[in-house]
Amino acid sequence: MNAREVAWRVFAEEYNSSTLEHSGEGEKPVSYIVTPLGAKVNRMMVVGVVTDIEDIGEEGKQRFRARISDPTGQFYVSAGEYQPSAAMSLSKMSPPAFASIVGKSRAYTPEEGVKYLSIRPERIREVDADARDFWVLEAARSTLLRIEAVEEGLNMPKPTVGALMKLGYAENLADGVVRAIEYYKDIDTDRFRNSVRDALRSILPESKEKEHVQASATKHKAAAKERPPPETKEEELHEVKVGADEEDTVLKLMESLETDPRGTPWERIVEAAKAKKIDKVRLEEIVAKLLDKGEIYEPELGMMKRI
Amino acid sequence: MEPEKLAPHIEEISRALGGKLSDEEIAEELQKYLDVYKLSIPMAKRTIVKRHGGDATGFSAGFQRKLAEIRPGEPNVDFLAKVLSVNTKEITVKGEKKTIMFGFLGDDTTTLPYTAWEIEELPLQRGDVISVRGAYTREYQGRVQINFGTRISIKKEDPSMIGDVPIAQGPPKVVTVKQLRESMGFVEVKGRVLSIEERDVTVQGQPKKVWSGVLADETGKVQFSAWSDFKLKPNEVVRISRATVKAWRGIPQLSFDDRADLTKILEKFPSAEELQATGLSLISEIAARGGATDVTVRGVLVEIRDGSGLIMRCPECKRALQKGMCKIHGRVEGFPDLRIKAILDDGSGAVSVVMNRELTERLMGITLDESMQKAKDAMNFDIVKDAMDEQLTLKLVTASGSITADQFGLSMIVKEAQLAKVDVKDEAERVLVELEAQE
Repeated sequence: MNAREVAWRVFAEEYNSSTLEHSGEGEKPVSYIVTPLGAKVNRMMVVGVVTDIEDIGEEGKQRFRARISDPTGQFYVSAGEYQPSAAMSLSKMSPPAFASIVGKSRAYTPEEGVKYLSIRPERIREVDADARDFWVLEAARSTLLRIEAVEEGLNMPKPTVGALMKLGYAENLADGVVRAIEYYKDIDTDRFRNSVRDALRSILPESKEKEHVQASATKHKAAAKERPPPETKEEELHEVKVGADEEDTVLKLMESLETDPRGTPWERIVEAAKAKKIDKVRLEEIVAKLLDKGEIYEPELGMMKRI
Repeated sequence: MEPEKLAPHIEEISRALGGKLSDEEIAEELQKYLDVYKLSIPMAKRTIVKRHGGDATGFSAGFQRKLAEIRPGEPNVDFLAKVLSVNTKEITVKGEKKTIMFGFLGDDTTTLPYTAWEIEELPLQRGDVISVRGAYTREYQGRVQINFGTRISIKKEDPSMIGDVPIAQGPPKVVTVKQLRESMGFVEVKGRVLSIEERDVTVQGQPKKVWSGVLADETGKVQFSAWSDFKLKPNEVVRISRATVKAWRGIPQLSFDDRADLTKILEKFPSAEELQATGLSLISEIAARGGATDVTVRGVLVEIRDGSGLIMRCPECKRALQKGMCKIHGRVEGFPDLRIKAILDDGSGAVSVVMNRELTERLMGITLDESMQKAKDAMNFDIVKDAMDEQLTLKLVTASGSITADQFGLSMIVKEAQLAKVDVKDEAERVLVELEAQE
């Protein structure tokens, strides 16, 4: 059946941690990014905040690059002359804005073992906060379904598509899960479950507040004595998570690595950070924070540079 | 690619060409298409077969399917299965005695009966795992039957590839309406008759009476056809045993005749009103069923397709005109109409939807006359589609109707549609509470 590829609802964290590409069979093989939770993503739909749009067109050819944040991370979007509708929409948008995007998954592999994932948009529309909240809910639900499927698969001595389908999972998911388990081996589903929980909390104002109070109560007992509880804003929450000294460490690190005016490749930063006992996940959090603050930027995909 | 890996493909091409080329010639040509022209293997195979006058239409792309995916009436199917039973029988074909083999095959999705018509050189044994190319299928008593004819190619595989498979025989399968699938053999299903009408039809030249209608349980609705008068009345709750499932354009339908047992039951069952108000269905579930009657789906319009907007129709046949021309009636004076053709995607699957003028007017908040006026003012018909694209792309929509399946996927002629409004907060809270309860 030449059925149309479904637009997966996948959070940035899950999408960006994918390193497996897979090509289908048949006359026009379809290429997929297989996420650690078994989503076989050819087409995807994302609603988030457009944080910046860059016009990188050359010689009269339109090209825009944009970054879109969801509660778990960022998506990279690039639209050129072959995506006229999406490029047109981006040219009219001024960040920050809520945007809904449907597009194709893209992987850029500059060298063995390194993959940068982005979205090649088909359609982009500016939307309201309600549409964003609904997407977060849908992405949360579908992520939870995938987590469940992966956990079922991990519990089987040898997971098969048929066995997963018998449990009620659709064939494309069952197939993706089998591939994901084979390739990613031990999948840390708790990590994704936690990010689903955080994402859901982020669209529920009351529970965010509660969470925040808890977080500051446990992590900042001493500090809380000296100053009144900080403002209940999400920004503050990040402040708690990523200390200023860590940001400093990473900035210094980047300074020492910066030999090329185009910036420093991401994987070199990861290497150097490892030596300073900062693991990749942590580093991603710190770098995201620095990007938000505008201390660093990404001159091109996969390159980081201080401002 | 290493030569030994190409061997099965060469064999397949040779079979499709009826031995017109030698294996060496095929190998050389295949290698050229793969290495020089960088074609994919299926594409290369197809090209070679076509070029040498072979029949590439029924030519499989070397694509093995699960038994549960195989449909009746397919001319060429490939699959991997375990032989569950082997029996032989002597039959008389055109006055000649002949021995055939029959039994069951199974994989991890289902079991199916098979018949081998030419049993020479077919040393099948119980417990063998075989990869089969070039089988064909028929329907027999509401179930797919696999046939091994003269074009069959069977290869024995490692028996551990498929584990134990229980044979699905004996009493009918007890299922809910939602679980009904084409060709699953005898089923038993319980439901309330929502509607029923008597119709006169002609089957193979013979006038016949059929009682058809809609049966529903809490999982869904299904069209049924009773080929014998069971004196069914609307609103009755019945248990139907030994019914079969056929498909009409991919939608499972229940069919039963005097072989079936029908019991009227008086236990508590959801009312007709409750059953009528269908909940939301996931598109992936409808796709797995191969279609569904009267369902509601909710998703985002990921694309407003060409052919949407203001169109002109042929006054004779109502077909949409292409540049003022009707495909059948040539140049005609068309009449205007509005429609939306779009892709609705709910994250589990996608369905192609078509909405008529009334629905389009409601979703767009503009009438046909107003659209005509706008188009005339702008001297451009396309502005109506452009406005549609701007207004509806990536909007969340609820749509109801019947969904059919064909080789291009699912499609729905929409009966009811509106922009969806969801109480995200309540639902998000519920999901979060469930998630936290697991911790």
